[in-house]
Amino acid sequence: MHRFLRLSVLLLGLFAAASYAADAPPPALTTEDDLGPAIEQPIEFPHFRHAGDADKGGMEINCMYCHTYARRSMVSGIPPIQKCIGCHQSIESVRETPRIKKLFEYWDAKKAIPWKKVHDLPDYVRFSHERHIKRFIFQLNRPVQEVCGYCHGNVKEMKVARRSKLLSMGWCVSCHEKEHPVTAEGGTPIGDQAYWYGMHKPLVDASGIIKAKGPNDCSVCHK
Amino acid sequence: MSVSNLLENWSDFRHTHPVDDVPHNPYKWAMSIDLDACSGCNACSVACYAENNLPVVGKEKYAHGHSMHWMRIERYWDEDISTEGGRDFPDQGAQFLPMMCQQCEAAPCETVCPVGATNHTPDGINSQIYNRCIGSRYCEANCPYKVRYFNWYDYPTTDNVWPAEMNQQLNPDVSVRGKGVMEKCTFCIQRVTVAKNNAKNEGRLVHDGDVQTACQQACPTSAISFGNLVDPKSKVHRQWQAQQVELNKDAQTKDKAENNEEGGGSKEEGGSLRGYRIFEELRPYPSVMYLERVRESAV
Repeated sequence: MHRFLRLSVLLLGLFAAASYAADAPPPALTTEDDLGPAIEQPIEFPHFRHAGDADKGGMEINCMYCHTYARRSMVSGIPPIQKCIGCHQSIESVRETPRIKKLFEYWDAKKAIPWKKVHDLPDYVRFSHERHIKRFIFQLNRPVQEVCGYCHGNVKEMKVARRSKLLSMGWCVSCHEKEHPVTAEGGTPIGDQAYWYGMHKPLVDASGIIKAKGPNDCSVCHK
Repeated sequence: MSVSNLLENWSDFRHTHPVDDVPHNPYKWAMSIDLDACSGCNACSVACYAENNLPVVGKEKYAHGHSMHWMRIERYWDEDISTEGGRDFPDQGAQFLPMMCQQCEAAPCETVCPVGATNHTPDGINSQIYNRCIGSRYCEANCPYKVRYFNWYDYPTTDNVWPAEMNQQLNPDVSVRGKGVMEKCTFCIQRVTVAKNNAKNEGRLVHDGDVQTACQQACPTSAISFGNLVDPKSKVHRQWQAQQVELNKDAQTKDKAENNEEGGGSKEEGGSLRGYRIFEELRPYPSVMYLERVRESAV
């Protein structure tokens, strides 16, 4: 008797859980906690002023003008103070603002600005900026800010950069699972060699464009 | 599928590969080691320690079998060890064999991992994902070559493993493993990845010589060669071909010739071949070919 009761209670519970799952919307994947704490930088760098759209008062500077290593190395790099001064020494209009004063204090003291890392991946992850930039900006000709934004969010509207994507493994994989076009332009070999992008044979869609997934083998990203 | 079919076509069944229908396209990393050139100097082992952040465990832990040398030099003697005169070893007649993970195509370790922390990459490397590993040690138990090493201690925080400034020499491209994690030779996968990325950026395949393993780079006699087995121009491919060693066979021409000889048969074919793989009969299909020693041993 007891056993019978227990079973019915279990079934009832399962049914309730299933109906709850069907009704309730899936929980949001991104919560504020997942994005880590807001990071205070030594100087509040106004990204929106430098990279923002012109009609909103931005300069529309290419991300890779300052983050110059992104296209040729694993890391995107933080520019040396020399790069800031290179422009700012001849911009008199903002010379006396508090942030620029602070900038020149560092410059006169010959000290590097101790920027803090915002997008910090775990030590066991290997992420190459170069590969992603080459693939999407140089081979697929997508706009720079869109491509950087895949992982960094809408930085051109931010003041101090803030993580806006999860940067979790499932999040990375969700993009690697997508079929991206493989082009011969820019030097990517096509056909059989598109196997490079994944373990599966690439698809060819109706218009003859070869599409392939990103690499999905553990050792590509885990070191 | 009958059992006899399974056994007859064993290599096909165990040889299935993650790539849909074309295995090893465009890469299959493999090695060949010339034992005639190997002088047992241990440079490869030292290079491996430096490249892969291996902890130096010290005498006491070594005696307990906790050593972490991914690349070890095994030593064999021509004669039985004579204890006459209180000697531990003979004065001459040593043979050396560098032993590391053989990156088996049908790896016994892969099938027993409960969490899939060790698995096969499309380019034929048996990868070990440290942050996935839960330390069950089944893989170590199932490895016929005994080339998997377990972190019994948290070496990064152990005294005298990497004291204060020494941790500056750690390789940033390789994880520093903590306690409870299995590790092993990865064919320097961090170097392979860099070479593949560079090749992709330039829209080509990895050329022979683009990537060297640390042991290969350090070997003073160039006994170790490493490369892409499916690239007909690579040194490794040519060596394997010259020795008639094939990846998906469990008995090579040389083994057959020797069996013929023992069985009273003739030595017409394969008598001059030197290439063999270790524990071929267990059918793990290792990716490392050894070239038998030719020179007279007692010098």
